Amino acid sequence: MTTWSPSERARYDRKLLRRYHEHGDASAREALVRRHLPLVRSLARRYAGRGEALEDIEQVGTIGLIKAIDRYELSREVALTTYATPNVVGEIKRHFRDKAWTIRVPRHLQELNGKLSKAIERLTATLGRSPTIAEIAAHVDATPEDVLEAFEAGAAYSPASLSVGTSWDGDLDPMEMIGAEDAGFELADHRTRLEPALSGLSAREREILRLRFDEGLTQTQIAELVGISQMHVSRLIRRSLERMRAELS
Amino acid sequence: MLAAGEGAAERVELESPPGPASSIARLVLGGIADCLRLGVDELDDLQLAVERLLAEARGPERVRLAFEWTDQTLRTYVGPLPEQPIAAALEASERARGELDLRRVLETLVDSVAIEQVSGDGLVVRLEKHVPRP
Repeated sequence: MTTWSPSERARYDRKLLRRYHEHGDASAREALVRRHLPLVRSLARRYAGRGEALEDIEQVGTIGLIKAIDRYELSREVALTTYATPNVVGEIKRHFRDKAWTIRVPRHLQELNGKLSKAIERLTATLGRSPTIAEIAAHVDATPEDVLEAFEAGAAYSPASLSVGTSWDGDLDPMEMIGAEDAGFELADHRTRLEPALSGLSAREREILRLRFDEGLTQTQIAELVGISQMHVSRLIRRSLERMRAELS
Repeated sequence: MLAAGEGAAERVELESPPGPASSIARLVLGGIADCLRLGVDELDDLQLAVERLLAEARGPERVRLAFEWTDQTLRTYVGPLPEQPIAAALEASERARGELDLRRVLETLVDSVAIEQVSGDGLVVRLEKHVPRP
């Protein structure tokens, strides 16, 4: 494994940035994202234990990283790492601000809610099926009543999600950009029959609805395919259906 | 009502103002799902089905919810709901069958959807989910 000195890393980052910004090389952009994911993970860990799953914080931080890569100006004399750090932290802080608890929820329930995503993911992998409330409760060392309350407390989060198109200042949904090159993942607009209210949704939201209501995949299967948590899939489906209903009415 | 031969049915019935009805239904369904050892996928499907139905049924001053279950089946009765727009939303035409209308959403989320009873007050929608065998 090659060990890079900080200056070598910065030089190679710059080379990739040039390829991306001057020649539109998407693979260079992907490489930049991959190279800086450890930075995102390290920054995300600082915000763990605040009632949000670490994986979700990392996803938000990755959006900040992508924005930093896209906004970076080659005339700058600053390393990408230096430039990206405040962008990643800013994105995470904005996420917590936007997703503030809309009603007062006891801290232990907020924390428990934050553990549920991971617990469901692990139990699904172990059991090969969607876990029951009792199994989740045993896994997180809580009572079934606490787990149900924590699920319900999750509904007290404002529904802002990782793919809030209107607050994104680029043309694309950030979730689309993260998963743009996922193997086997097709944003299959041509196959969708869910018109016309779907047009107000992002491509990723449309794809999740198609997987659920066209293909009949379960939330857990969609979560695995798309690379987000089952709870996040659940939130996105709810929000999408509500937006469609509002659009139609 | 659940038919004889399906085992003794348990039943919970309640009435709520429309505002908190979804949250109440979610909690009750959570408790029943725990008893029946339903997975979180199945639970979330049921909760979402009730939420969508209530969201579509704009207007009732009180919402009645009934939950009836055996070890094989969980049925949720929602209503009486105003006949419009629920009836229209559930009567998907051939032309609209491919669209993501209420019927299609509900039929994906639960095993069967039916209008159980039509009274002068409106209609009652029955949502049925089979309990997977371990």
